[in-house]
Amino acid sequence: MRAFEYSSPASVEEAIRLLEAASRPLAGGTDLLPLMKADLASPSRLVNVKKVLDDRIREDSGTLSVGALAVLDEIEKNPVVRQRYTALAEAAAAAASPQLRNMATIGGNLLQRPRCWYFRNPRIPCWLKGGEKCPAKEGENRLHALCGGGPCYAVHPSDLASALVALEADVRVRGKTGERLIPIEDFFVLPTEAWRCETVLQPDELIVSVEIPSTEARSTYLKAMERKVWTFALAGVAAVVRRSGGRIERVRIVLTGVAPIPWRANAAEDAMVGKQFSETLVTDAVDALLEDAAPLAHNAYKVPLLKTLVRRALEDIFRDR
Amino acid sequence: MKREHPPGAVGHPYPRVEAPEKVTGRAKYSSDIRLAGQLSGRILRSPWPHARVKRIDASAAESLPGVRAVLSRFNAPDIKWYEEGKLFDETVRFVGDEVAALAADSEEIAEDALRLIVVEYEALPFKIALDERSSGKTQVKWRGDVQAGLREAEIVIDDVFTTQTALHNCMEPHGCVATWEAGRLTLYESTQGVFSVRCEVAEKLGLPQEQVRVVTQHMGGGFGSKQIAWKHSVIAALLARKAGRPVQILLDREAENLAAGNRNATRQHLKIGARSDGTLTAIDVRVLLQAGAYTAGGEESDVIGTYQTLYRCPNVRAEQTSVRTNTGPAIAFRAPGYAEATFALESAMDQLARELKIDPIELRLRNYTELDQQENKPYTSPDSLRKCYGEIRRAFDSLKGSLKTETKKRRGVGFAAHDWVAGTGHPPAEAIVRIGDDGRATLVTGTQDIGTGTRTALCQIAAAELGISPSHVRIELGDTASGLQSPTSAGSATLPSLGPAVREAAASAKTHSGGKGERGPNPFHKTVRTCGAQCAAVEIDTETGEVTVLRVVTAHDCGRVINPTMVDSQVYGGVTQGMGFALIEERIVDQATGVVLNANLEEYLVPTVADLPDTHNATLSMPDLEANTIGAKGIGEPPIIPTAPAIANAIYDAIGVRFRSLPVTRKKILESL
Repeated sequence: MRAFEYSSPASVEEAIRLLEAASRPLAGGTDLLPLMKADLASPSRLVNVKKVLDDRIREDSGTLSVGALAVLDEIEKNPVVRQRYTALAEAAAAAASPQLRNMATIGGNLLQRPRCWYFRNPRIPCWLKGGEKCPAKEGENRLHALCGGGPCYAVHPSDLASALVALEADVRVRGKTGERLIPIEDFFVLPTEAWRCETVLQPDELIVSVEIPSTEARSTYLKAMERKVWTFALAGVAAVVRRSGGRIERVRIVLTGVAPIPWRANAAEDAMVGKQFSETLVTDAVDALLEDAAPLAHNAYKVPLLKTLVRRALEDIFRDR
Repeated sequence: MKREHPPGAVGHPYPRVEAPEKVTGRAKYSSDIRLAGQLSGRILRSPWPHARVKRIDASAAESLPGVRAVLSRFNAPDIKWYEEGKLFDETVRFVGDEVAALAADSEEIAEDALRLIVVEYEALPFKIALDERSSGKTQVKWRGDVQAGLREAEIVIDDVFTTQTALHNCMEPHGCVATWEAGRLTLYESTQGVFSVRCEVAEKLGLPQEQVRVVTQHMGGGFGSKQIAWKHSVIAALLARKAGRPVQILLDREAENLAAGNRNATRQHLKIGARSDGTLTAIDVRVLLQAGAYTAGGEESDVIGTYQTLYRCPNVRAEQTSVRTNTGPAIAFRAPGYAEATFALESAMDQLARELKIDPIELRLRNYTELDQQENKPYTSPDSLRKCYGEIRRAFDSLKGSLKTETKKRRGVGFAAHDWVAGTGHPPAEAIVRIGDDGRATLVTGTQDIGTGTRTALCQIAAAELGISPSHVRIELGDTASGLQSPTSAGSATLPSLGPAVREAAASAKTHSGGKGERGPNPFHKTVRTCGAQCAAVEIDTETGEVTVLRVVTAHDCGRVINPTMVDSQVYGGVTQGMGFALIEERIVDQATGVVLNANLEEYLVPTVADLPDTHNATLSMPDLEANTIGAKGIGEPPIIPTAPAIANAIYDAIGVRFRSLPVTRKKILESL
């Protein structure tokens, strides 16, 4: 790891003042430190934000507010999150290992870089790191994107991000000119030539909290991994369904491990929303799923896997609750 | 309560004698060594799979404050390495090959300095993957007439099996501290063989062996990858000599997974001929194995070994071709060759049993041999594999009877047998036992305890002979300065090599208050071997491809069991690694660049505790007194051998798909259904 300056400011204002293109905020460090060890990030200054941000999880006036420093372990175990924002608790529980969940914050989780093995390998100049092309497109792409790929085919690694997109959260962001609230679907962006990054967050901005509208909807998160625990998703599904009488009033189905950002399954949602619940509704949704998929040479197996996960997620929601 | 045996008697559990040191953190590994003035060494590795090193400009690194020594092919001594190479060769042959090295006051300075070294490479053409057209050095073993045997057959299984490159991933990476004093070198090395490292390092440096001392007190796993002297040891010694200060080199996880050995990938084309009653008439196998860029340690895995010995068969032709590729060199990995071959052979035997509608264990019994057919000699324990089958028979039947299978979650049971050429031990192996005035004993040997419980078992053996408690035996080991020869801890050799020497030393000490023991030769007219069998039960979620290994039952012939707890530990470790080999472990190399994409523990997945099956070790103690004077044989390697085929056969039982390529990932399962 290269040498860097370390600052530990006492106020958010000071922290933001210290943030600039060459510095990075440090919270749990579970992604930033490995990036620095691999020389994929080499900030000249780390700004400790652990003294100036909030780690509380509070529900009031129709909103669940999760402080940027709330760690995955707290989110997983919080009784309100478990009961009313189940997909988020289940996504947190399915992520990483107990040690990592004790350190990793929700803010950092949303900002983590892709796990793509070309991106993470310092020997390979991939497109996302400023190179000319994506080596995964024609290379070892069993773990890569089915949708939204090109120029980058990495998948977004976060389980929580999909749950938060499904729960229609907002990300509260603070910068030099004040705060702004960004709908999480707008927070994540497909990387472009001009902006090779997965979020709109600017270098001098901090995530302050994640805010989730209170909901009567039922939700769940299902994840498929190559081993039982402690690895990123081959595929994951966050599903949120609100019913009114027998009618599906609102539905969000968001996929992990599918695209460079959490990926909404719009066609599957459309197949359900406004309809009366029936046995065939789940089948209709699953049939509509991933019609936009463009599998690479080695990742088509994810399509049937995702269809099963979506079907099981919806069946869970309809059966139990 | 009636106590029939004193605690720690041979054949009974006794806790590891070094456990207090380990759990309190006092145990010193190579990474824990801190000598006065010690520097941190780092190695610059090739980014190219095949290239010529044309020019190296290390001037910026050399002038960085805190850098004490820099070495490359332009200033290092001319030391031969591998077949035709050098310590720092003009040609680099895989991504990760050693190009230069330096020592600095801190790890951080050393890393900064590495980035300042400018190397000009001339890229050369390269080959990464094994394919059916690959060629290389070939060896053939045969007996009988395999073509006649195939003609005689009423059924022939003819299939191609492939196994992947697996990485050892020892918890503790390779590393050492090198220090010189008055022209004598001491290496604190994480090694399975203090004497082999002494011999090889002395030879490379042109020193008499007496001027090199190698110490290994504790190590975090070797699994075969630490059985030779690798370049880092000599590099550390040269840097230390140049800088005039001790140098520590510890490989990081990436270097460990690029340049410190791996289990060779194989492609095995196998034909098995049999009569309709299951009697084998021919085994014909052609193996390609991926040796990587070099032959490390001068040996290659014996993939064709078990084809010649596990079953009675008059006509065998076994051919293996070792293929050079521009990837990291292969080296022994826990039962090298046998783990790979047994997957193919035992999958094919399972298929044969299915096609002939013969019970899989019955098929093995019909082809049982009490003879080493290659040497035409009887085994010292001709009946032991049959006894292992008997133990597994009961578990297999009970699992078969109890498994409920649903349409979406299908369950199955699989069986696999194995033999193993090693586990026999051999001379030279020496030990000294001294009795103190207080009646307590000191046991000294040269061997290293690679984490398998060698200290504990040897204390138990000495105590049994002396009639005292193992707690009254103090053991010293892991230091060539003892001058007591011992073999490398490879081939499951440590206990059956040292155990008889310790017993003889203790017997002599009883009468003389001190004595030396030496291990005698192995029997000449009989063959010593180890063998065993396992069964596995799995559950497959047919809609998600998820495999859950529910249960594994094991029975192995390791001769006399000295300490059942330590035997269980080896079995659990072997089954765990075998399961990783079966389902998830696989080195992935980018074909376009030769870069290993998962030389880490994030993308190279090993099993976690949550993945592990409920494992029951049904190994019987079967003293083999014709093998050696304590009747014990090795158990380090055997448990990994039959696990992958037992799991693959269980998967077939569950879903009717024969996977001929490891690992059986969720991707492969989903694609097959």
